[in-house]
Amino acid sequence: MAERELADLLKQLHKTLQSKQYQQAGSILSRAKIALLGLNALIPTESTPSKHLQLARETLELGAVISIRLQDPVSFTRYFQQLQPFYALPEDKLPRKGSNASKITGLYLLLLLSDGDYAGFHTLLETLEVAAAQAGRGLEDDQFIQYPIRLEQALMEGSYDQVWRQTKGSNAPSEEFALFSDVLIGTIRKEIASCSEKAYPSIPISDAKSLLFLESEGSVVNFAKESGWVVKDGRIYFPQEDGEFASKDILVTSDQVIENTLGYARELETIV
Amino acid sequence: MAESMEGVVTEVEQPNTENVEEKTVSEIRSNFALLERAVAQFDTRFTLRALRSISSLRKKLTDRVLCTVIVVTYSAKNPTARLLIQAVGMEAEDLKAVADQHKDAVQALKNSTKEPLPEVDVYIGILLQVYLYDQQDYEEGAEFSTQLVDRIRELNRRTLDSLAAKAYFYFSLFHEELDPKPPSKQSQVITIRGKLLAALRSAVLRKDLDTQASVTTLLLRNYLSTADITQADLLVAQTQFPENAPNNQVARYLYYLGRIRAIQLSYTDAHEHLISATRKAPSNSVAAGFYQASMKLLIVVELLMGDIPERELFSQPRLERTLEPYFRLVQAVRAGDLPSFLKIVQNSAKAFHRDGTYTLILRLRQNVIKTGIRVLSLSYSRISLRDICLRLGLESEESAEYIVAKAIRDGVIEASIDHEKGFMQTKQAGDIYATREPGEAFHERIRACLTLHDECVKAMRYPMNQHRLELKNAQEARERERELAKEIQEGDLDDDDAAGDFDGL
Repeated sequence: MAERELADLLKQLHKTLQSKQYQQAGSILSRAKIALLGLNALIPTESTPSKHLQLARETLELGAVISIRLQDPVSFTRYFQQLQPFYALPEDKLPRKGSNASKITGLYLLLLLSDGDYAGFHTLLETLEVAAAQAGRGLEDDQFIQYPIRLEQALMEGSYDQVWRQTKGSNAPSEEFALFSDVLIGTIRKEIASCSEKAYPSIPISDAKSLLFLESEGSVVNFAKESGWVVKDGRIYFPQEDGEFASKDILVTSDQVIENTLGYARELETIV
Repeated sequence: MAESMEGVVTEVEQPNTENVEEKTVSEIRSNFALLERAVAQFDTRFTLRALRSISSLRKKLTDRVLCTVIVVTYSAKNPTARLLIQAVGMEAEDLKAVADQHKDAVQALKNSTKEPLPEVDVYIGILLQVYLYDQQDYEEGAEFSTQLVDRIRELNRRTLDSLAAKAYFYFSLFHEELDPKPPSKQSQVITIRGKLLAALRSAVLRKDLDTQASVTTLLLRNYLSTADITQADLLVAQTQFPENAPNNQVARYLYYLGRIRAIQLSYTDAHEHLISATRKAPSNSVAAGFYQASMKLLIVVELLMGDIPERELFSQPRLERTLEPYFRLVQAVRAGDLPSFLKIVQNSAKAFHRDGTYTLILRLRQNVIKTGIRVLSLSYSRISLRDICLRLGLESEESAEYIVAKAIRDGVIEASIDHEKGFMQTKQAGDIYATREPGEAFHERIRACLTLHDECVKAMRYPMNQHRLELKNAQEARERERELAKEIQEGDLDDDDAAGDFDGL
């Protein structure tokens, strides 16, 4: 009974996904989850039949994809966590076939990346690496997982032009991945801005445009104003910070030295 | 004919093996006396001494030895004895032979009403665990260990604490060996987590430091074996590792902690933990594996921090061979040579996977590039971006510009870029001795020395209630002191044997 209902609901969900009417999907999803609860399959147990497990996995995966479409990271994270016990099941209980595990995981990695949560990113990556070694296949073949890994590498070493190229529409492995592009470009723009401040004394506006991947010179000027840079004669002048050495001058910090020496004296006293 | 021939052969060999057997049995039994004393005087030092001898007994353990010990210790009807004998898994006939051989002792036991202490039960249990582990009888061992730790929990005696720590250690070791092995998600290690966590909870409540330390490290190992790093991190955050834990447990704990932190990218923390772990690692050859594993991790973390490990590290005899791929890795990073770095990673991928350092090493790519840039900025006062791109093997000039800009921001080099003319200009470095930096470094070192002194003072041991004893009986006190001195001496001599988890004093 409930099984049939669930299958129907899933069909509807696929339809809404195709017609991109994500708003309706929410109510169907919650009905599907209630149906899952009726089957007692929302959390896998020893006795859950394989058929129900497959239905549950499909529902949750659809939920995850829809949350990404709705740009709702919180609910996506929740779906991802709920899916974990399903992905941990052995092959004979729940066949890998038909599973979107790598796609969902890749999306989650990308989410972590766009949040700047590098620790979480690497922690998950380590888990994946171990699991992949266990299954006897490398992570290298998985395009969904490789995409965020490549992005992270480029981000860390600073090849921002690579990131820019990767995030451009057709390079992403699927539509959902491209949704993160805006966030990522925002991130790299900020990074580039902070690097440029330190690296260049000044730069022509036209060059800054290509450097920051901005559309027009007007937006460069706006961006410069936001960052507090000086625009003069068609060039951007970055604020020079001076006196890094001065702040470290020994004479300025003589009280610190005195304090330290007194500290040593006190310690020596207790030892002797 | 054949029978008599066999008889001849055994007659020649028997005295020899029997001697060893008898000696082993008496050694084990002398340990029982130590355990009894530990209970009577409520002093764990005696228990630790009994435990320390396990590593030397280990090589001489056989089913016959164990059965003999059991037969001469327990009366025939004792249920514990039955359980233990069953676990040894000896044939009934051989068993009978053993019993016959020690008829006198068995007879004497019948007349005495004294029951052996539970400590003795558990001690034999641990010997059995060791024996089964060496026989690679993991199924049997896992089953027996489960019974053993359950019994320890039931008994709930404070004098059992150090023994319990050891029992849990083997309990977890057996389960690791069962199929499917970790990191499979169906592995047996996942099922024992509940038991270990329960053990940890009661250990904390009972202020049982030995078990607490041992079970915490076991749990961390357990989580890391299935790559559940988040759980391991939460465990560390929610528990407190006992400060006075045995040295070897501290070393283990620090190693696991270093591993977690390295994965989470907090390299400074990881470095600190791993340095302590390698320093606290036992210096004898028995624990070489641990030393190697922690050293490998330490090298990778140092590289990730942008440091280059010392050359002499790699020429230590017990590290030289296993560190070979790491040595080549360090060379590539040091030279900032990207192509050769990638080649080494590819060639030694298997070794790195086995050591669990592969993902960490993949992160080194950016460090190689950074070092490359640093080398270039040191040797040229002005270099075109195109040359940088060629020398570092980067994909495009644009990438090179961004990478250099990032290196400048991160403080790797002191330079500026001229975008229109496309070159990098190195800034003149100021005189560092005019700043307070040397002073800060000096301060840092002095602080380290002072902390070391404080820790030494704290680590000194003062025997409990010594002064009271002296008041009561000066003679007895002197004797105790002499014994203590002898023990210290023995402790030094026994250094090779101290493969167990407990160091002497």
